[in-house]
Amino acid sequence: MTAKLELRGVSKWFETRSGDVVEALRGVTFDVHAGEFVSVVGASGCGKTTLLRLVDGLLAPSRGEVLLDGRPIAGPGLDRALVFQLDALFPWRTVLDNVLFGLEVQGRLGEEARRAAGELLRFVGLGGFERAYPHELSGGMRQRTNLARALAVDPEVLLMDEPFASLDAQTREIMQAELLRIWNARRKTVLFITHQIDEAIYLSDRVVVLTRRPGQVGDVLAVDLPRPRRLDVKRTPAFGALVDRVWKRIETEVRESVGVPA
Amino acid sequence: MTVRSVEVELGVGAALPRARRRGFFERHQSRIRALGSIVVVFALWELIGRFVITNRLFFVPLSSVFASAGDLWARGELQLHVRTSFLEFALGFGAAALAGIALGAAMAVRRALRDYLDPWVAFLYATPTVALAPLFILWFKLGIESKVAVILLVSIFPILLNTLTGIEGTDRHLIEAARSFGARPMQIFAKVMLPSALPVIVTGLRLGLARGLVGVVVAELFGAKAGLGYLILYSAQTFDMAALFAGVLILALAGVVSSEALKALERRLAPWRFVEVER
Repeated sequence: MTAKLELRGVSKWFETRSGDVVEALRGVTFDVHAGEFVSVVGASGCGKTTLLRLVDGLLAPSRGEVLLDGRPIAGPGLDRALVFQLDALFPWRTVLDNVLFGLEVQGRLGEEARRAAGELLRFVGLGGFERAYPHELSGGMRQRTNLARALAVDPEVLLMDEPFASLDAQTREIMQAELLRIWNARRKTVLFITHQIDEAIYLSDRVVVLTRRPGQVGDVLAVDLPRPRRLDVKRTPAFGALVDRVWKRIETEVRESVGVPA
Repeated sequence: MTVRSVEVELGVGAALPRARRRGFFERHQSRIRALGSIVVVFALWELIGRFVITNRLFFVPLSSVFASAGDLWARGELQLHVRTSFLEFALGFGAAALAGIALGAAMAVRRALRDYLDPWVAFLYATPTVALAPLFILWFKLGIESKVAVILLVSIFPILLNTLTGIEGTDRHLIEAARSFGARPMQIFAKVMLPSALPVIVTGLRLGLARGLVGVVVAELFGAKAGLGYLILYSAQTFDMAALFAGVLILALAGVVSSEALKALERRLAPWRFVEVER
C-alpha cells in the first residue's frame, strides 16, 4: 500500500492578538494509505480541526510538511473535499444547488453534472429533496447534503470535521453506518476527525490518538475488526477492548481539562 | 377471545381526532382587526370633522379630503404633483440604493477604504441631514437636482451601513466552505457574502425608503414649483386643509405600499429567516 497522504513533523502555532504564541500541533507524523479510513481522536482543544485545515490547505504548517501523492499541499484543491459541521450549508440554496456549489465555482457545471448530482442525492438517501432548502431538513438530512456536496466534486480524499457531532445519539449511529456504506461503494481515502472514541473505532482502519495542546501523536492503533461492520459490532468485547485502550491514553488529559482528577 | 378482539379494534379504530379546519375569520383574524381599526378611525375622522371641529381652518372631514383630491385630479394638478415627487424620489432613492450598496460592499471587503470613510459616514449619519436642504437649494437651484441630492443624502446611510454589517456578518464557516471548494475571492463575494447579506441589505433599503420620503417633503418645502411637499406647503399657506390632508395621505399610502413591497421581497429572498415555529 502506498501513502496517499503524509504528514511529516507538522507543527502549527498561531500568534494571538496580544502577541502570545499558541502552539496547536507539534511534530505530528502519520500517513494515510489510498482507500484507507483513518480517524483522529483527542480531547477538545488538541488541535484536531487545525490538523484537518492543514490537510485541506486552508492553513499552512509552521514547520514540517503535508504531502499528497508525495507533493506538498499548496492550498485547497480539487483532489480533496472537506465535510464541515452542520452549519456550513448555504441557507439560500436548495439541496441540489448546495451539492452543485463545488462544481459551479470550479466551472464544471453542465447537464451531465446536474444529472450526476441528482443520482448522488438518491445514493445518499435524499431523492425527492432536491428542491428543499436546508432549513426544511432534519439534522441527519442536512449532514447527508453536506456529504453529497463534498462527494459531488469527486475528490480523492474526503476530509471530515466532526460531521456528526451535533446529531442526536440515534441519528449519529445511523449516519455512521450510512457513511460506511457510502465509503464502501466509493472507496475514497478518508481522514475523519472526532472526539468520540467509539465512532472513530467503528468507522476506521486505523485510529490516530492526539494528545492535548500542543497536539502530538500519542498512539496509532489498527482496528482489525472485520468489514463490513454492522452497528452491533460496538457491543462486542473486541470493540470494548479497543475503546478502553484509546480511553486510557487520553483519560488523564480529559480529566485535567475538566478539572476532575482520577 | 372476544374481549381481546374488542381491545384490538379499539386500538386500531381509535383514529386521531381530525384537526379542526379553521374558519375564514380565524385564519384572517389579524387582517380583519387591522381593517376594522382603519374603518373606525376613518369614521371618527369624518364625524369629528363634521360635528366637533367645524372650523375648516383647523380640520376637515375625510370626505372633503377625497373631494379635494378628486378636484385636483380633474384639474390635472394632482398628477403633476405625484409625478414630480415620484421622479425626484425614484432618482434620489435609486442613486442612494446603488451608491449605498456599492460603497458599503467596498468598505466591507477593503479595510483601508473603510478606515478612510468611517469618520465621514459616522459624521454625516449623525448630522440631521435635512438641515442641509436649504444649502442644496442654493447649490443646485430650484430644479430637480437639489431634491434628488437631499433624498440621496438622507436615504443612503441606512443602506450603506446595513450592506456593510450584512457582508461583515457573513458566517465565516460558509466562507471557509467556499474556500475549501476552491472559490476565488470574487466568487466568495458574489456567491456567499452577497446572498448572505441580501436580507439585511433589503432591511436597509426599507429604512432608507422611509427617510427618503421625509426627504421629498423637506426638499420641496424649501423651494419647489410642484410636488406633494409643495402641495402641502402651498395648501397650508392658503388654509386649504382638504388639499393638505390629500397630500399627506398620498405620501403615507406610498410609504406603506413600498415598505410592504420590500417586506415581501425580504420574505422571498430569505425564506429560512421566516420559518414557522412548530406548534
